[in-house]
Amino acid sequence: MFDFRPKVNVSVVQTGETYPCAIGESLLQGMLRLGRKGIPVGCVNGGCGVCKVRILEGEISQLGPVSRAHVTLDEEACGYTLACRVGPVTAVRLEVAGKFEKPFSKGYAAQGGAPCLNN
Amino acid sequence: MGVLRIGHASLKVMDMEAAVRHYENVLGMKTTMQDKAGNVYLKCWDEWDKYSVVLTPSDQAGLNHVAYKVEKDSDLNELQKKIEAYGIKTTMLPEGTMPSTGRMLEFKLPSTHVMRLYAMKEYVGTEVGTTNPDPWPDNRKGAGAHWLDHTLLMCELNPETGVNRVAENTKFMTEVLDFFLTEQVLVGPGGVIQAATWLTRTTTPHDIAFVGGQRNGMHHISFFLDSWHDVLKAADVMAKNKTKIDVAPTRHGITRGETIYFFDPSGNRNETFAGLGYLAQRDRPVTTWTEDKLWTGIFYHTGEAVPSFTEVYT
Repeated sequence: MFDFRPKVNVSVVQTGETYPCAIGESLLQGMLRLGRKGIPVGCVNGGCGVCKVRILEGEISQLGPVSRAHVTLDEEACGYTLACRVGPVTAVRLEVAGKFEKPFSKGYAAQGGAPCLNN
Repeated sequence: MGVLRIGHASLKVMDMEAAVRHYENVLGMKTTMQDKAGNVYLKCWDEWDKYSVVLTPSDQAGLNHVAYKVEKDSDLNELQKKIEAYGIKTTMLPEGTMPSTGRMLEFKLPSTHVMRLYAMKEYVGTEVGTTNPDPWPDNRKGAGAHWLDHTLLMCELNPETGVNRVAENTKFMTEVLDFFLTEQVLVGPGGVIQAATWLTRTTTPHDIAFVGGQRNGMHHISFFLDSWHDVLKAADVMAKNKTKIDVAPTRHGITRGETIYFFDPSGNRNETFAGLGYLAQRDRPVTTWTEDKLWTGIFYHTGEAVPSFTEVYT
């Protein structure tokens, strides 16, 4: 409401949620600001790894450091990152890969995500 | 003799500039020293030793080690013998391993957290001094935290495999370092599983706490404030600084602390709390929280679970 910043859509594969995220704010902050759910929320500062996601489609920009204890360089090359540390540049489609994924992603996991060529 | 109190926590941070800004502007600490490795040392205004927080540059968040101060240098020799006799390896790190700090006895808790004990750290004095001191200095920033008070460490607990690092740490801390138990959470059939403990050496409800989780890690480091109103002001400071607040001001059943939780810019959880709770003495009966009232113990007003509080940590 009354927020005219340029936005793009972010969709979460497992839950089917889509929300508008302002360019320049993090994927997680965009969700939190609207009181929406879908991506698990932890420290929101790149350290705890709870909001780990894999970007399936769309372009993102890095907003700050992500903990290497939770996202390795190999994983990053495969599109994994923390939703609190990246912002959208274009519309984004992502899957939740963090610690809280189990309760709602069993069905999706069974289908298998897209393979990562680097793995 | 023996352990006096928590001395410092050494934390990994991913953005040093942002971290220093946080500990100075939000907690109200002051930088007292930097070393060649890029580590930054800070203290609170009411502390008299040179530092209580060390920030080290890293590609991840979390705890490097937590240190406790002992009264006498000879305590280090005696405790080394006791710890080794208990079956835990120790290393005596020579004076100068950390600047302005004497020799340190290093060992791992059963939970693998690294603990150091030391007797000497450079004395620099509180900001109000020792002669006819004012109750507080004029130049406090942010929350104006008095001192680093305690830490809570997450310890692996898996009843299925029988792993309980909470109970193992508690046994070690009480039998070897002579801490005493003030409160505990007992779960499982007949309350046989010690799932969380609060221990102290001082007269406050805890100088260290252990809570069971999936993996070992650091839940938070905590700083002392005077009053409930100071907790509110700390929340205002966090809003002004766009600090991520984890748990808005509330009260714990356990320790009776009036509290606010938040994250530093690398996601290490901090707490500022007020209220000394009660006078913790060695003959005080241990308080027990049962499985059905666990969340009342954690958040007294709502008594409702906040899973992220126990599952998010570095």
